[in-house]
Amino acid sequence: MDRTRSSKLTWLLIAIVGALTVCPVVMLVLGSFSEGLTAFGVFTVDKYVEAYTDPAFFSVMVNTTIFVLGSSTLSTVLAIFLAYLNTRTDIPFKFLFKIISIIPMMIPHLLFSVSWALLLNPSNGLMNVALMETFGLDNAPLNIYSMWGMILVEGLLDLPIAYLIIAPAMASFDVALEESSRVFGAGTLRTLFRVTLPVLRPAILAAFILGVVRSLASFAVPSVIGMPGRVHVLATYLYEMISTGFATDYGKAAAVGMSVLAASVTLIVVYRALTAESEKYVTISSRGFRPTVIELGKARMPLFGVVGVLSFVLIVLPVAVLLYTSLVPYSMVPSARAFSMMSLKHWHDVLSDPISLLSLKNSLFLAVVGATLGVILSVFVAYVIVKVKSRASGILESLSYLSFSFPGIVIGVGFMWFFVQTPLYATIWALLLGYIATYLPYGIRPMSSAFIQIHSHLEESSLVCGASPLTTMRRIIVPLLIPGIVSGWILMASMFVRELTLSVVLSRPGTEVLAVQILRFAEDGLWGRLSALGIVMIGITTGLVVAATLIGNRFKTV
Amino acid sequence: MEIRIRGVSKYYYSEGKTIKALDDVNLTIPANQIFTLLGPSGCGKTTLLRCIVGLEVPDTGEISIGDDVVWSKDRNISVPPEKRGLGMVFQTYAIWPHMNVFDNVAYPLQVRNVPKDVIRDSVAKTLRFVQLEGFENRPATKLSGGQQQRVALARALVAEPKVILFDEPLSNLDAKLREETRKELRAFLGKLKITAVYVTHDRVEALALSDSIAVMRAGQIIEIGTPKKIYFDADHRFVADFIGRANLVKATVRAEEGGFTIVDSGLGRIVCQHRDVAIGSEATLCIRPEFIRIVRGEGQAASNLVNGRIETLVFVGEAYEAEIRVGDEQLLAKIDPDAKLHEGDAVSFTLDPAHCLLVAI
Repeated sequence: MDRTRSSKLTWLLIAIVGALTVCPVVMLVLGSFSEGLTAFGVFTVDKYVEAYTDPAFFSVMVNTTIFVLGSSTLSTVLAIFLAYLNTRTDIPFKFLFKIISIIPMMIPHLLFSVSWALLLNPSNGLMNVALMETFGLDNAPLNIYSMWGMILVEGLLDLPIAYLIIAPAMASFDVALEESSRVFGAGTLRTLFRVTLPVLRPAILAAFILGVVRSLASFAVPSVIGMPGRVHVLATYLYEMISTGFATDYGKAAAVGMSVLAASVTLIVVYRALTAESEKYVTISSRGFRPTVIELGKARMPLFGVVGVLSFVLIVLPVAVLLYTSLVPYSMVPSARAFSMMSLKHWHDVLSDPISLLSLKNSLFLAVVGATLGVILSVFVAYVIVKVKSRASGILESLSYLSFSFPGIVIGVGFMWFFVQTPLYATIWALLLGYIATYLPYGIRPMSSAFIQIHSHLEESSLVCGASPLTTMRRIIVPLLIPGIVSGWILMASMFVRELTLSVVLSRPGTEVLAVQILRFAEDGLWGRLSALGIVMIGITTGLVVAATLIGNRFKTV
Repeated sequence: MEIRIRGVSKYYYSEGKTIKALDDVNLTIPANQIFTLLGPSGCGKTTLLRCIVGLEVPDTGEISIGDDVVWSKDRNISVPPEKRGLGMVFQTYAIWPHMNVFDNVAYPLQVRNVPKDVIRDSVAKTLRFVQLEGFENRPATKLSGGQQQRVALARALVAEPKVILFDEPLSNLDAKLREETRKELRAFLGKLKITAVYVTHDRVEALALSDSIAVMRAGQIIEIGTPKKIYFDADHRFVADFIGRANLVKATVRAEEGGFTIVDSGLGRIVCQHRDVAIGSEATLCIRPEFIRIVRGEGQAASNLVNGRIETLVFVGEAYEAEIRVGDEQLLAKIDPDAKLHEGDAVSFTLDPAHCLLVAI
């Protein structure tokens, strides 16, 4: 492609991506400084003063800090533990680790949180009831509706992503570094703490920071587990501000959101610097080598037990609890009586509920149309980022990764300000645009790695052979991109099917989506219907992930 | 077809500095020859090749292939690569992994809308030519390096271009296969009436394959000549040094005598191949290790007889590599492996004036 054409394309894409990602931020900033509730007015800092002097705000900040640091620490420590066991020891059944790492693709955070609430809520949580019956207790021994409950569930939810960052770093670690430590007289443990972990520090820090960003943006856990226990963090504080009361103060919400957004963007900048650093740290050489496997000996089975429990908790338990709850008439401990009372009543209720059906239809529409448009945009953006090396393409790259750091609920408020000015307000197109803007990085990533794999010679040799740029696109580039396109589409579609945080802000009557409807059921305590609809959602996302894996394998063999 | 390059320059800008990848290159590549661009990495040889094929746009000058001007700054002509009708073998071969061998080779004909049966015949003929008969349905990814190289060659040849370009096509093969493929390539190209432009940094490859070699450095062409001319008779010290191992000795020109040039050097008075240089000027005397001939027994009073002492002697299989000390100079010499010599021995050797080369400093 000649230079003027590609630079025109670059600037067009900068305009589109810029509009999608910068627009809500600008609106958020403007909104936070405006008089008036939803419309723009005179410049004022009143909203900031009001928001940050609110006595409730201080305790929310403390809660948020404890929640965010606690859950990130939990997920990082667990991830280090699992990654070490998998890459460096002779632990059995290593396939479990791969499953753990792709689970969050299949079980939405909202449903994972709900399943824990069903197990451990203080009034009729299945596990609580079972414990009370077994030990003859008067009160529920465990209460998930608390800070430790939130930290536990969020930590488990962020575990897979932390694992995906730490495990590759650990696998590509040059064992010679460890071996030399051993030769100089350090034992296994001392080597682990003096050599292995320090070398992996950038990866570990990156995983921790990503955990902080994700838990800061997390809405599912705070709303399902925090709100019933009156443990408020920033996300739920914002949500209550905009969803309750008759005169919603979006200005104040914007003012609070600004600090969340600023913190997130800063952390993501640090995260990207760290991942670049950790790539530098990759000590693997091209010589083929296998890291020495440490024999666990007697600790082998107990350690495997821990992994087994973790995978059970992460994979089997949520689905089993939801399936069970969707079949029994009300919450009860599994027993012969419970099984005899099972029916499809909740399923029937949900499938004849017009709003549930509408939300299903809306979510499917958003997934199919949104992922298609998102992938088309991602193809062009990834092409420019990878193949056109210019200052403008650098700007585009930064812009397109900006939304990676957007906490959904905050950016939702920004979009709200924007869409109110347009006829798109309260339509499904508002959700569509918001989804694409927020999840664009997830489409761009698989596409750019696909482009990186297409060596420029493959394209150039087609030109030299006499094919026009268009023919080259059709016969060489697109066929080689198909695996990337398919996996990008499926990734986006599965994220759109379960999207919650942006949707709770932008969804209005008539534009309900699955996750919002599930949240409504949770708020109304309709656990049976919730579980039935949740299983439908898990079915769709699992189907998409399985399809992606099968298609990926098919293309790999070609 | 002849390729003419006039005043072509190409600049890169990085970190505020201008790098001259090509610096006012003027070159005529004669028709139906194997013409090699040789030079160290970063000398601009690949950039020049990519300018010829159209994948890189020069900043100044004019390039014509046969009678067609394909690029001209002044006349604002820029023919895109797909309209230049050339063939090219890439360093990575660029075999499309999603196609089989047939589709890879047929591609140039398919995009020219050639009838199907003609394509089938041409592909079969070309694959026979590169000795890949029966590989039509093999997936491109299931080929060895040497086979991929031949598929790339077949694809470059199938549309019968008048010019074929090679960008370091052997550098991805291991040493033994590289030697075999080099011989094959020489044989293939010898059978065709085609202009081949070949880029390499490997001097043996250049010497073995080429009809002519152009040696490049820092975006400029230093010297052009046949392999023998470049090896035995280079005009430039850089070329003499780059094309093979050479002992370079400082010398001062003293006289012209009977078709020879006489110099004084650290080796004494040496009779050299004739060069038009002013008497009294400085020059560099270039002697290749294989032309240092040890004289056995009593040295006869031949010309260019030099006495020295063997400092080190290393047996490398086909020869001894010896370092011989003569005054302040140290020379590398290749000596017969059956010579009965030891480190520390005093030796005499002669230098054939025909292989005593004077090059510019």
